[in-house]
Amino acid sequence: MEQLEIRNLSFSYPDAVRETIVDVSFSISKGEYVLLCGNSGCGKTTLLRHLKSVLTPTGSCRGEILYNGVPLEQVDGAKQASAIGYVMQNPDDQIVTDKVWHELAFGLENLGVSRETIGLRVAEMASFFGIQSWYHRDISQLSGGQKQLLNLASIMAMQPEILILDEPTAQLDPIAASDFLNTLKKINQELGITVLITEHRAEDIFPVADRVLVMEKGHLAANAGPREIGHSLFDARSPLFPMLPAPMRSFYQCGGTGTAPLTVREGRNWLTDVFGEKKPAVRTLPPLPELPKTEPALHIENVWLRYEKQSPDVLKGLTMTVPSGCLYTIVGGNGVGKSTTLRTICGASKPYRGKIQVFGKETKKYPRGELFRNCLSMLPQDPTNLFVKQNVREELEEMNPDKQAQIHAAELCEITHLLDAHPYDLSGGEQQRVALAKVLLTNPRLLLLDEPTKGLDCGFKARFARTLKRLTGEGMTIVMVSHDIEFCAEHADIAAMFFDGQIIASGRPREFFGSNSFYTTSSNRMSRCIFENAVTAEDVTALYKENLGDGQ
Amino acid sequence: MSQDSFSRCHPAVNFLYFVTVIGFGVVIQHPAYAIAGFLGASLYYLLLKGRQGLSFIGSMAGMLVLITLLNPLINTSGEHILFRLFGRPYTLEAMAYGAALGVIFALTMIWFGCYSEVLTSDKFTALFGNLIPALSLLLVMVLRLIPSFTRKTKQIIVARSAIGKGADATESRKDQIKSGISIVSALTDWALEGSIVTADSMRARGYGCAKRTNFHIYCFRKSDAFLVGLIALLAALVLALGGTEAGFTPYFYCDYVTLGFPAYCALLLVPSIMYLREAIVWNNLKFET
Repeated sequence: MEQLEIRNLSFSYPDAVRETIVDVSFSISKGEYVLLCGNSGCGKTTLLRHLKSVLTPTGSCRGEILYNGVPLEQVDGAKQASAIGYVMQNPDDQIVTDKVWHELAFGLENLGVSRETIGLRVAEMASFFGIQSWYHRDISQLSGGQKQLLNLASIMAMQPEILILDEPTAQLDPIAASDFLNTLKKINQELGITVLITEHRAEDIFPVADRVLVMEKGHLAANAGPREIGHSLFDARSPLFPMLPAPMRSFYQCGGTGTAPLTVREGRNWLTDVFGEKKPAVRTLPPLPELPKTEPALHIENVWLRYEKQSPDVLKGLTMTVPSGCLYTIVGGNGVGKSTTLRTICGASKPYRGKIQVFGKETKKYPRGELFRNCLSMLPQDPTNLFVKQNVREELEEMNPDKQAQIHAAELCEITHLLDAHPYDLSGGEQQRVALAKVLLTNPRLLLLDEPTKGLDCGFKARFARTLKRLTGEGMTIVMVSHDIEFCAEHADIAAMFFDGQIIASGRPREFFGSNSFYTTSSNRMSRCIFENAVTAEDVTALYKENLGDGQ
Repeated sequence: MSQDSFSRCHPAVNFLYFVTVIGFGVVIQHPAYAIAGFLGASLYYLLLKGRQGLSFIGSMAGMLVLITLLNPLINTSGEHILFRLFGRPYTLEAMAYGAALGVIFALTMIWFGCYSEVLTSDKFTALFGNLIPALSLLLVMVLRLIPSFTRKTKQIIVARSAIGKGADATESRKDQIKSGISIVSALTDWALEGSIVTADSMRARGYGCAKRTNFHIYCFRKSDAFLVGLIALLAALVLALGGTEAGFTPYFYCDYVTLGFPAYCALLLVPSIMYLREAIVWNNLKFET
């Protein structure tokens, strides 16, 4: 029997012109791992919320939802609470209590389970998730990744039969995100618990998912295995195509037929099969053209910083030069000091040695407030840190009273249709764009971006890249800190690697990522046995076609 | 987090102990008892906090001096007039009374300092969760919000100053106040938004479905029972043997010290002795291996 069955579900919010969910039907059987994807605002979250009665939004709803053959509204609250686990996007706000052990027990406390049983279940979960070492900690001492794992664990303690996850890794860095997804995979495979997940970073989930559902504007556009979905997205020239794993994209762009590779390993096998033992004639792409010589916009020399006198150094002799008019991206692991570097440039953290020059003048020597007037500006990691007004229009007015400038910024960031909305009612990607518009209204010549692509869907990521290109084209210098290696490889003018408090290496992305063997894009890892410096799916395609011609 | 031997006891033992010593500390004005209380509290506080604890005890000693000097300005009764200030007598008895009040104030504060180190919020809720379930959950949630508020405030301040909207970007007082108000309003919006998600998360996990259990991770051992007995016995001795009365104004008198006093001292030293005993055990273990 199907565990979850949805029959002709339609839903519209009160006063909405069109339906958010239009006639959706699908079913999920026990133990399946199902990915639900689609661009922001396509109705994914609304759909997921219907699968748990207490979270169902108000509005008019038609159709049926059956849980184990019983209409969902007839399944009682306590049963739903434990059997259907729901993990939300924001790691912080989902947590209720102040201690890790208490959070694990929270759901079971609500259900009135006896103290001994709670003790056992909590112990089981803490062991399964490897939480023992931080079992006694305060929640405020945890990292984002740990918080999200805790959210998952505290739901698992209630022994759910199905897990529903709404973009659980959108606010995590890639390492924490893949940790989380690995745990989820383990839960699915070792405990046989059904998983239904929505996610922008589909690349990591495609290889493990049994089935993929694609939503477009409230409709269920496709429902099939991951390989068929890849094929149909390519055939339909769908805007969701860039969401697919890089090996799969390369395969289809090269005109491959048959079984498409899902993972780097499969992609590598596919390339070796095509080219056989002999190395192809053309193995390298020409180096990217030299950047024009320009004055440095930012120059940091031998900067040392620590937060407290006794604490270890965060920046250790950091030296870097950013030529003006380029997109300079900094990649690197967690907690190596990337964000601290941006804060230091802005003067929010004070180095105890070294100097920082912006447009040839030390930041300390700028008169009060002058540095941030038409000169330097930063987009913080969490866009909500910039929101202080009741709607987007007022947010923009606060930055610059000039109407023309506001309209221009709104158009550039594609938020013209959102001007009357409250900033907190927007999706993550939309918030990011509003924050960017606010920052651009200060007319910066040097723009600092902290993790701007976190939580963006592939469609907006591509448009965001175009916006950055346009800005650098107009002469703006952009320094961007990111975990998103794929984005940096594709769009950066200069890529730099941050490690142990300083920049270890920097260069044009093709040379830079082409010479790394582990810290590089999946296209590069897939193709490095055949090609020398292909770092994006497009590079692989270009080299493939150059060797084998277009017709193959 | 302090993890000394006394802190690891059942929260009920901790709570009983603090209620007893703080209660005695406030009620007994007898100078011998007050000074013993002050020393006992300070000793345990220093054991818990190490060198960092010195500044707090120093500031409490400062308060003590201040109260000693100020009390005669308000209270003018007493036999021995030291001098007259604006025509009002400044008496030795009032000063002594001030000193006694100061010591009591200081020892109470220091005991509370120990209390907050030992009886953390989760122990408190474990203790009272069954009596007042809704209130104890509320307390836990508030305790969770405080650090996240502080962190968010810092983030907003940094973010705003990096787009030229910080308090230091302008000279004008008016603009600075405006910027402060913006931060408060941003914080409110953020907190309300977060509370909606929290409420969803609570309901999704069955809050309100059934009568809540109150889970905690402490168990009541034999040693806890022994400690409860010991604390009760010592407290009973102090109460039964008396000798704790003292008066300061208009003339000074106090009881002769009885055997209640050593009992009181023993009570004060319970956590410190437990601490030191453990330290000695560890030390011996180190030499044995």
